Amino acid sequence: MIDVLFTADFGRRALVAATVVGVVAPVVGAFLVQRRLSLVGDGIGHLALAGVAIGALVGISGLWGALAVALLGAVLLEALRVRGRLTGDLSLALIFYLGIATGAVGLSLAGRFDTSILGVLFGTLFALTWADVGTIALLGAVVLAAVLTLYRPLLAVALDEETARAGGLPVDLLNLVLVGMTALLVVGGMRVVGLLMVAALMVVPVAAGSKVAHSFRTTLRWAVGVGAASAWIGLIVAAWHGELVPGGTIVLTAMVAFVGFALVGRRTAVGHRPRRTA
Amino acid sequence: MPVTAAIEGSGLRFGYGGVPVLDGLDLRVDPGQLVVLTGPNGSGKSTLIRLVVGLLSPDAGEVLVLGRPASDPQARRSIGYAPQGSPGRMVLPVSVIEVVASGLVTGWGGGRRDGEVTAALEAVGMTELGAECVFELSGGQQQRAVIARALVGDRPVLILDEPTTGIDRAFRPRLVDELRRRADAGSAVVVVSHDPDDFHDVCDRILFMEDGRVRDVGHDEFHALQPGAGS
Repeated sequence: MIDVLFTADFGRRALVAATVVGVVAPVVGAFLVQRRLSLVGDGIGHLALAGVAIGALVGISGLWGALAVALLGAVLLEALRVRGRLTGDLSLALIFYLGIATGAVGLSLAGRFDTSILGVLFGTLFALTWADVGTIALLGAVVLAAVLTLYRPLLAVALDEETARAGGLPVDLLNLVLVGMTALLVVGGMRVVGLLMVAALMVVPVAAGSKVAHSFRTTLRWAVGVGAASAWIGLIVAAWHGELVPGGTIVLTAMVAFVGFALVGRRTAVGHRPRRTA
Repeated sequence: MPVTAAIEGSGLRFGYGGVPVLDGLDLRVDPGQLVVLTGPNGSGKSTLIRLVVGLLSPDAGEVLVLGRPASDPQARRSIGYAPQGSPGRMVLPVSVIEVVASGLVTGWGGGRRDGEVTAALEAVGMTELGAECVFELSGGQQQRAVIARALVGDRPVLILDEPTTGIDRAFRPRLVDELRRRADAGSAVVVVSHDPDDFHDVCDRILFMEDGRVRDVGHDEFHALQPGAGS
């Protein structure tokens, strides 16, 4: 069954799309995690569901609806954070519920609250068209190009927002770019691992990489490796079994990598060595 | 021809929730000066610094940095700022080099210039620790990484908030010499310290903050102001 990934068109499409998301998601995720915004991807994912519903109601593609609402939601989330309204988990929780409830009600009103919603929530990796793959690749390329171009200023803000602001960096704009890229990535990953799990690919590979790295750059490299490997291994497991949802196997593979890296990291990585003395 | 002040504040007023902290404060620091800003806890030293680096806006008055308003990005880019404490909230591993190099980033681009990073690490005696993760360093070493981040790039205005706090005594003279050297090279250096003894012999001026204002005090007067003086 595994050979379908390389011989059948639907398998190749799945492989390409999963690889794109597996590689790009941790690149954005590393900056979110460093800024203690790990759950922002989840928040935007929930809002994107509302976008899918609104798209269904007004008769446009769910993808475009999700894109519009995810971007709008990203700006809203950032505005709340800047104004100090997103310091705890309560505001984020409210955003989650707003998104998921609006999605449920909107899809019901549009007569689309059926099993197809499972594909939005958990991905439809084996049902992608080449046009879908092209859209995912385009979104991934935009996100990757933006983040790599702005790598140093984004890192400076992620390390210490206040000092970056004092140093003349356009911190607010950079933050908007970051959450905007997160929104694009959520929409790009919607068909791959689903809105409920796309944020996991931003966070779990980064968490794994951080267990064995000693710098942000090496964390990023490990995270991209874990993301890509999880995409392939998860897809292979799903194809071999035949009944498993690939989004789930991909994320679970990343979780296994995290546990493995954490065990290795206990002996080698940061946070476990004795601190030096002054 | 009059020299453009490195830092100039006039009629500065600022308060938190209606409680005044700065009350018509005037301040001038010229290029080439090493100035110690001191005063009792809660006298407003850190507030004044945050106004100068553009993190706060005054309720009244104006702060100019090299002739530009402190809120002007161009003005901010001329300041090397070292806040007190660790290099920020670290969740992921970050190397000392990455922390220091972030001080070179002032706009959308901003490159990593390895030579300048190495020079800044050398200035704080951390050349050998550049590749280390800041998690693994002691509090004092983390503070030195923060200072190196402020020093990198040779900015014309340096502001360091309690730079000697947590740093071992053996290293302090080296830091003092480095800041004196920077001032002699033309930078304006402001050191905030509630215990300015380390800089006492080498600084050009001691500014004492009290009751929302700041005034120059001589070295003798400064000692007379210390708790326990004359007893």
